[in-house]
Amino acid sequence: MALLAVENLSIGYHTREGFLKSVQGVSFALAEGESLGLVGESGCGKTTIGMSLMGLLPENAVVTDGRILFEDKDLLKLSKKEIRQVRWKKIAMIFQAAMNALNPVHRVSEQIAEAILTHDAEISEEAAMKQVESLFQVVGIPPDRMRDYPHQYSGGMKQRAIIAMALSCNPSLIIADEPTTALDVIVQDQILNAIKDFQKRLNFSLIFISHDIAVVADVCDSIGIMFAGQLVEYGNVNDVFDAPMHPYTRSLLASYLTLDKDFVQLNSNPDETPDLVNPTPGCRFSERCTVAEAACRLNTPEWVEISPTHKALCNQFK
Amino acid sequence: MTVNRSTRTSNTRVRPSKRFPTLERLKEGWAVYKENLIGKIGLTLLVIFALMAVCSFFPPLIDPMYHPMTGVDPQISHSTWPSWRHWLGTDFIGRDILCQLLAGARIAFMVGISAAFMSIFLGTIIGMIAGYSGKILDTLLMRLADMIMVMPTLLVVLILSSLFGQLNIWTIVLLIALFRWPGVSRVIRAQTLSLKERPFIEAAKVTGASHFRIIFRHIMPNVLPLSLLYMTFRVTSAIIIEAALAFLGFGDPSTVSWGMMLQWVWKTGHMFQAPYWLLPPGICISLLTLSFYMLGRAMEEVLDPRLRKEVAKE
Amino acid sequence: MEVRKFVLKRFIEIFIIFFVILTVLFLLFRLAPGDPVTRMVDPTLTPEDSQHLIAQLGLDQPMGLQYLYYIKNFLTGNFGNSFHYGEAVSSIIWSRLPNTIILFTTSILLSAFVGIFLGKIASWQKGTRTDTWMTLGALVCHTLFLPWLAMLMIWIFGFKIGWFPLNGMISPEIWMDPSSGLWLKLLDVLHHMVLPLATLFSIHFGSYLLLMRSSMLDTLKEDYILTARAKGLEEKTIRNKHAAPNAALPVVTSVGISLAFSLSGGALTETVFSWPGIGRELVFAVSNSDYPLAQGSFLLIAIVVLIANLVVDVLYAYLDPRIRY
Repeated sequence: MALLAVENLSIGYHTREGFLKSVQGVSFALAEGESLGLVGESGCGKTTIGMSLMGLLPENAVVTDGRILFEDKDLLKLSKKEIRQVRWKKIAMIFQAAMNALNPVHRVSEQIAEAILTHDAEISEEAAMKQVESLFQVVGIPPDRMRDYPHQYSGGMKQRAIIAMALSCNPSLIIADEPTTALDVIVQDQILNAIKDFQKRLNFSLIFISHDIAVVADVCDSIGIMFAGQLVEYGNVNDVFDAPMHPYTRSLLASYLTLDKDFVQLNSNPDETPDLVNPTPGCRFSERCTVAEAACRLNTPEWVEISPTHKALCNQFK
Repeated sequence: MTVNRSTRTSNTRVRPSKRFPTLERLKEGWAVYKENLIGKIGLTLLVIFALMAVCSFFPPLIDPMYHPMTGVDPQISHSTWPSWRHWLGTDFIGRDILCQLLAGARIAFMVGISAAFMSIFLGTIIGMIAGYSGKILDTLLMRLADMIMVMPTLLVVLILSSLFGQLNIWTIVLLIALFRWPGVSRVIRAQTLSLKERPFIEAAKVTGASHFRIIFRHIMPNVLPLSLLYMTFRVTSAIIIEAALAFLGFGDPSTVSWGMMLQWVWKTGHMFQAPYWLLPPGICISLLTLSFYMLGRAMEEVLDPRLRKEVAKE
Repeated sequence: MEVRKFVLKRFIEIFIIFFVILTVLFLLFRLAPGDPVTRMVDPTLTPEDSQHLIAQLGLDQPMGLQYLYYIKNFLTGNFGNSFHYGEAVSSIIWSRLPNTIILFTTSILLSAFVGIFLGKIASWQKGTRTDTWMTLGALVCHTLFLPWLAMLMIWIFGFKIGWFPLNGMISPEIWMDPSSGLWLKLLDVLHHMVLPLATLFSIHFGSYLLLMRSSMLDTLKEDYILTARAKGLEEKTIRNKHAAPNAALPVVTSVGISLAFSLSGGALTETVFSWPGIGRELVFAVSNSDYPLAQGSFLLIAIVVLIANLVVDVLYAYLDPRIRY
């Protein structure tokens, strides 16, 4: 029984340039303890999906279609109060390392304790602090740094603190949005291992959002490739890596030069992001695709099941 | 080595600062400005006051008794309520209040704009030099700026006037400019500092441009919009300082400014009996200040996306 | 602790600034057109007294020595005698200082607190009529001409409605009467303080309101606010506990920056309301060519401004952990 089931989710933003169709008909499911990686370039909609799961979409965003079923409840239909109760306690987030995710005027330990105290009405402040202390131990921050302020932490330590904060209420689902971008390569590695480790031990479900496909391959069981707001390939990570089907996936993988794979030529100017206000009616990747035909631009692509655990959205493989 | 590949989309559109021709920018700026209600109100008020200033030349031509300083009505020699002869009434020696008000508008614009212009001029140059040179010169200039900023301008000018006797209006303008440049210079310096690191400055240096050329040819055009913005705020403070000085009795006795009018109301004890005399100058000072301020705020919105992010970096 | 070093550094800076002001004043008084002696010595004194004073102030000595005399006199609190009052300047300005401090400090604290509070509310209600009215009100009040507002206040509330006294800080009848208790005297001062305070408040709260409002709007866009929301906190908690403390910091800085302006305003207010403070004394001294008094008042005002700046800086250092640690 799936913990999370996203069905045909479509989200758009009202902007000065028009209505941006940022996410289009995305569906996927996540079981307990399973980890899913969402990969794609900037603007493909992966962060928007992450935000929508927590009900943190900005004011100009509109969910135009679909459902988000979490523990059999549609998150999109919850009241403000109910969403607040789901947040952090059930679904938590690990933010991008580059972000200013910690409040500069509060001590780090206080900010984590705040999360605990908000969702547990009976716990005392001392007990909450004790929990924070053990969390610090788990993520590997020395206890004497607990009372420090965020600006006194290094980048890696801040990220660990953010992870500790995400774990604090024992959520069943954690969304990690680019948690290692903007970190040193060595620290990146440490953080990734830490996340993998926690996930195995604490058995929460994980959605790992990244633009770096290599990182996702390392951490996740399943992978979803996104382009221009659509999920274009989805499946078990080994299946997708061994036999990438969608031309976009292939180009992503091929941009890591290896000795034994074919080099796939990218067709277009990579600086052009797809137009999401007036997207191509057919396949949104057809502008860039090397194997696209004229029909691809006009016909909606359909899912092709390559195996029970692997599917791709492309009309070329029917 | 940090790899910064943050994928957050930013909402501000950063435009290259030098590629657009000035006319394009002006047109764009006007389009944004027009949408702003505050800006429109401000501009309307300003136009009204400007008209007042221009009209100040006419009444004395109609009849010498309408001269703001020396006009004496042969029939009236004390303060009277508004009448057909004198639309806003007369002051304590029978001079027409409306003419004084119009003349005051002229003085206010003159003082405001000159003082603001001078202080911006000074502040921009000093700010650019400080930001560009760095090290000792920068520290010295900024310390000087700090010292000047700390002192209450009005009170300093007071002390100076005690030493130099009655001040002439242009001296007042100069003094105001001398004490208001620090605020501008700080901002310009910050902007210069951030511009200094830009590639096009490097390029200019590499091609052998002298420091002078770099400052005036490359940095100044980028810094100018900010200067102009701050000029509107400087105008308001210049007008207020002059009015306060005149009110306290240290203004130029040969000019009729609104502050001077208020001083006369106060000193001659007509505060309670002559609302037609008390109210107009005060309303004018406040409205003119307000309109310049609104102008400045609206301009800020026009210049904002490009400048606010950069000014914040220091 | 970093704060101590910071405070010490600021203290030294302020000390230096004051010294420079002191020196500049010295030079101005000596170099301005006219005979410097008439500036320091009351022309109405007898020749012997004049000579005595000249010797005391070192006016017959070369410039360098004069400067030393000047510094010495300053350090011993000797500012000479006021031409107008005939008393020692130091005792005059010293007696005026508390009056200014009372009015000035109260007005700044009141405007800052109320301005910050209302600015916070205005930012919550952004776009609504409450916000528009508040912003407009703040803007209009801020641009009112202070002496004019003061006169209006006196006219309407003092003269027409008669609720408040027209000027001064105390009612002599109450203070002269031996049977008046402390409470009555205090109340009397407060009664006199209402109008000047209201005037100063009106002019100043507007800028704090507008600043806090825009600061809040900027702060609410920060990432850590997103974190707070993600943690499931209520909007009210987020605004008050997470956004407001951060948003208030630039406003505290602006209090420091606008101190000079506030003090000028204080001097104007004191003059119109005949509130017996140093500002008014300075204005009178300048009008009466009472140079020793003018110099003394100005120096004391300079000290007040500098110390106030220091206080604000220390407060800021205390409030912003990024400086404290």
